[in-house]
Amino acid sequence: MPRLPPSLFWKVRQQISPFAPLLLPVCRTLDSTANELRWIKQHVNSTPSLVPQKLRIWQACLKRERGMPLQYILGTQPFGPLEILCRPGVLIPRPETESLIYHLSSLITPSELPLKILDLCTGTGCIPFLLSSLLSPARTQITGVDISPSAISLSYQNLNHNISLSHLPSSALESTQFTQSDIFDPNSLQSLRYQPEELDILVSNPPYISPHGFNTTTERSVRLYEPRLALVPEVDPPTQYDCNPEDVFYARLLEIVQELRPKRVLFEVGDLEQALRVVEMVLREKGLKEYKTVEIWRDEPAVGGSEMKTIDGRTIKVKGQGNGRGVFLCRV
Amino acid sequence: MLAAPWVCRSCVRSLRRIGFSQQFLRRASTDSVKLPPALLERARFLTAEHDQLTAQLATNFDEKIAKRAGEVHRIADAFKKFEHAKASLQELEGLLKSEDAEMRELAQEDLEATNEQLLESSRNLSVALTPKHPFADMPCLIEVVPGPGGTEGRFFADSVFKMYQAYCVNKGFRVKVVQYLAADSTGEKGGDGETALQEAVLEVMEEGAYAHFRGEAGMHRVQRVPATEKSGRTHTSAVAVWVLPSFAENATASDGDWDNPESDFYIDPAEVKSEKMRASGAGGQHVNKTESAIRLTHIPTGITVSMQDSRSQHTNRADAWRLLRSRIAQKRREAREEAARALRSSVLSSAQLTRGDKIRTYNYGQDRCTDHRAGLDVHNLPDVLRGGDTLGRVIDAVHTWLTEKDIQALLADEEAAAAAANAPAKGKKGK
Repeated sequence: MPRLPPSLFWKVRQQISPFAPLLLPVCRTLDSTANELRWIKQHVNSTPSLVPQKLRIWQACLKRERGMPLQYILGTQPFGPLEILCRPGVLIPRPETESLIYHLSSLITPSELPLKILDLCTGTGCIPFLLSSLLSPARTQITGVDISPSAISLSYQNLNHNISLSHLPSSALESTQFTQSDIFDPNSLQSLRYQPEELDILVSNPPYISPHGFNTTTERSVRLYEPRLALVPEVDPPTQYDCNPEDVFYARLLEIVQELRPKRVLFEVGDLEQALRVVEMVLREKGLKEYKTVEIWRDEPAVGGSEMKTIDGRTIKVKGQGNGRGVFLCRV
Repeated sequence: MLAAPWVCRSCVRSLRRIGFSQQFLRRASTDSVKLPPALLERARFLTAEHDQLTAQLATNFDEKIAKRAGEVHRIADAFKKFEHAKASLQELEGLLKSEDAEMRELAQEDLEATNEQLLESSRNLSVALTPKHPFADMPCLIEVVPGPGGTEGRFFADSVFKMYQAYCVNKGFRVKVVQYLAADSTGEKGGDGETALQEAVLEVMEEGAYAHFRGEAGMHRVQRVPATEKSGRTHTSAVAVWVLPSFAENATASDGDWDNPESDFYIDPAEVKSEKMRASGAGGQHVNKTESAIRLTHIPTGITVSMQDSRSQHTNRADAWRLLRSRIAQKRREAREEAARALRSSVLSSAQLTRGDKIRTYNYGQDRCTDHRAGLDVHNLPDVLRGGDTLGRVIDAVHTWLTEKDIQALLADEEAAAAAANAPAKGKKGK
């Protein structure tokens, strides 16, 4: 990363605020610093406290300087029309996920309602909430599964929070369910009681960063503050799957897909290479032959055209612009 | 009762003497409603048309005819009332000349009321004849941008923004701050807690807000000693205010019809380049970016809108699209008005509100706010900046002035059309 010139520090101090130089090393640019400081101020103004406002702003800036993600400081992250609560220990929703989900929802016609949606490794629960709010909150039944108890409790809080903001109807309380279980446990899916082919959409944003990548490619704030559990797949004991260590979740997810046979499947992946490896796994598996549509989606699947890639003698469509971000399967 | 416990008697007396006398007030004239003959001619013509149309409608209903009849109904109604008032006035004048003293007295009593009626009906008629602005029923966006120059203009831009915000609150209009980009630099602070504003957009979500605020568009000039000025010199700087039409939040198909290619608000999505200002890199779980800025560029006109107020990209994109639509609609409308003006005589050029015109001066030293178009001076500047009734008076005066100009423009159109066609006044309505 290039070094920031001292003149820039002087400039943000002059033009924005005396607090701004604290944020500059994390934000890197003048505009972004001004925005983050404004959001911190808005947050401080809107939450009453006995502590003087300036002191709270300064404390927030100090935390941010140490690399704490802004979403943990402010406690929320907008996700589509929703507001998702964020807490240390649970992964913060990413804008790339948001655009994948927007594109997925655009593929579904209203005639297919009502829908049953299952989200594995749900975290804050942002994916099923967004899908349901984009499609039809009254006619979707959603289930989220996560291994972390704090994620499950946060996702229930998110449900109540978004109902109280009237982003979701109160009927969502009955049609939503979050379960704490380990998806590698063969009995974990029994408790969900889904019949084969009953499920309409299976979504997952599993941990997909390799241990080496975690040390080298992730941002400092991610490495220091976000849960490693949600980023790096480390299964204990080491499993029987024959694949790269960062792809074990996809291997297990594909087993679950064969068992439940949902109509549509969407996985988030780390980059194009990983997407290609996952597609290879899909094509190799005999039980997944019925999934005629296999696509790779980039960061912005809806923008720009698409290109073709040949894997194992089959042409795969790569949609959109940006990095490879998702693998989409459809059998209808 | 006086609020103060004791006031010197001579002071009270002197207060009474100057007190509420109107000698320092100057008002834009509104009373001179002498209807020009061409306007009357047009009203008569339209009324005849209305009668004819209603007769047609009685026999067979046609949607087109009904629509046209609805359009001219207001004018016909006003014209009939006007004629009625005029007839009764003539009658009264006849009575005034009668021999009977009692009759004369009675007529004298009635005369004033009838005169007032005539005045009112003629004013109604002129309003009814004025072409209605196509965006008049819409909510609006008020955009405040400081003019070129130092921080003084940016401080005053904040004052202007707060003035409109307060005015809307006082009037009970629903408002929403769409964008508010400020930078509070270290040493410098404006007077009255002003912050240096870069750009701000206020949405007035009331129907008809566009008609109300349309006269506010233009350059607002300030003359004052800035809070940062050390040697006490008066500075002059400017703030630009744009007023753009907008859509109601829950726009129905009839008024929010931006998918219709005929509409001024229509934008072909293929002509807009959308950019997210986010750094490249691995993305996804690897990074945690907070940037949510969206920039839209309308390629044919080169209009660019960037929005970074909200943390939500979703909200930023929706707001950016709304602002882009409003700007483009305004631009299309201005282009059409320009074309219409070229057809007309150049006398009326001053009525057009183009972006560069200086429309109002706020002079702090003299505690004065002057509107250059309506020719109105008001004192009590603090009340203006608080968005109080004084500002309301200025806005009303501008509104009256705009209406008068619209009527004049209409007449000029009529005359031009009449001269061209060499036929009875039968100009095209509107532009």
